[in-house]
Amino acid sequence: MWSIKWTEFDLGALVRSGPRFGEFFSRLVPPDWSVTGLVINATVETLMIAFAGTFFAVVISLPLGFLAASNVTPGWVSHPTRWFLGFLRSIPLIVVAILFVVAVGLGPFPGALAITFHSIGMLGKFYAEEFETAEQGIVNAISGTGATWLQTIRFGLFPQSIPQVVGFTVYRFEMNFRDATVLGLVGAGGIGYYIQLYVRGFQYEKVAILLLVIIAVVTLLDQLSFWVRKWVR
Amino acid sequence: MRWVIELENVHALYGHTCVLDVERLKIAAAERVFVVGRSGSGKTTMERLIKGGLRPSTGRVTVLGCDPTSRIPSERRAVQRRIAMIDQEFFLVPRQSVVANVLTGCLGRVSPWKSLLGWYPAYEWAKAEAILREVELDGLGNRRVERLSGGQRQRAAIARALMQDAEIILADEPISNLDPELAEAALGLLVDCVKRRGVTLVVNLHQPSLALQFASRLIGLSEGKVVYDGAPEGFTVDEAKLVYRGNRKHSQACEEVRHDEPAKAVGEKTPRPNLRLLRD
Repeated sequence: MWSIKWTEFDLGALVRSGPRFGEFFSRLVPPDWSVTGLVINATVETLMIAFAGTFFAVVISLPLGFLAASNVTPGWVSHPTRWFLGFLRSIPLIVVAILFVVAVGLGPFPGALAITFHSIGMLGKFYAEEFETAEQGIVNAISGTGATWLQTIRFGLFPQSIPQVVGFTVYRFEMNFRDATVLGLVGAGGIGYYIQLYVRGFQYEKVAILLLVIIAVVTLLDQLSFWVRKWVR
Repeated sequence: MRWVIELENVHALYGHTCVLDVERLKIAAAERVFVVGRSGSGKTTMERLIKGGLRPSTGRVTVLGCDPTSRIPSERRAVQRRIAMIDQEFFLVPRQSVVANVLTGCLGRVSPWKSLLGWYPAYEWAKAEAILREVELDGLGNRRVERLSGGQRQRAAIARALMQDAEIILADEPISNLDPELAEAALGLLVDCVKRRGVTLVVNLHQPSLALQFASRLIGLSEGKVVYDGAPEGFTVDEAKLVYRGNRKHSQACEEVRHDEPAKAVGEKTPRPNLRLLRD
């Protein structure tokens, strides 16, 4: 109730805004197909930002995930690693993007850096929790063969967690693509730049193309994620 | 006689409760020791002490002349590599193939870096295949463990232990998940493999009749103390009563086996009546 009051929740205002929504959607048609090439290029750039960001995040998060898992490392290692991951997660993506734009300049590079930075916090935490739920008996069985610490992780812990780790990584890539679409608003490259440009210029027929392409890519990524998860099960 | 396992004045405490109190226990090389006793009698604790998974509260555990709980990781690994373990839950990686699971048995002796990439020497592959044939799992090497039956999983766990080339094999209730017929077959297979290699075997078991059948030495534990240690032939109903205090079913089963069927050579078929008794 308090949150409803705080956010000035007003169903009447929502109902009254119906005609304005209608007007907005009516201005989306007919879509202006002339910008299709431009939008596809920007979408590919956004995908690349999401892909590079996710890739580097996975490379960094996996070891951090192991370090943060309390069944793998002692408390004096796992607790500080968890705090560090929490710190990375706590900074909003858009703020990270602004920081990187200021530091390295405009373009897709700060966008990829921002995605990497933000994803490390999320992926590292998830990986750690996944490793912690692994069957400890299997880990002990591998360790009992005289395996080294790394071999125990590789053969006892990792094979148990692979399906969940891959599944969540693909899901995170999907999320990163959606996040990357707004990075252009702060000059960090991708499709966001055009969203801002066309919305501010009231060129809604061009915005329609942007929306169609984003919906198509997200649907494709969703399907891809389904296939990958099925493959690694 | 070469002693491979020595426990001297060993006490194992969980909190303030003493779960194992062994004054002196020595196990020689190539012995097939079956440890019987009720749940909570200290059987698993004893195996954990031998494997190095638990440090004794007092006393000393020496395995193959070394301390299995050494604080130096390389020393601890060196001795643990020589002790294989078969657990009642098997602890195989379910989504990996049988052969991948069996090959993990050689991790202690192959190049760590190459093994991390999944590269094993050709002779280790050949050995794994030979062991799979020995445990009658040939043709199932590429099958995922999760698609195996309980008996097949048990044999895969035995194969992994054999792959380790260990001098001691510990088995903690290895047949508790199998029906009596499969249990006897699995235990027979394990004992056969162990005899061929001259390996020391220590098995915790709930079924005294099977222990009498396969053991070269029987240890009875009750409330953390050794109440019987000797040949299976000397394990009379009085000893069984001492070990299974209050559990008439097991004492009775021992008695029936003792009179109907004396300890017999490994591999011989067990007559049905004994199995019926256990089922009852």
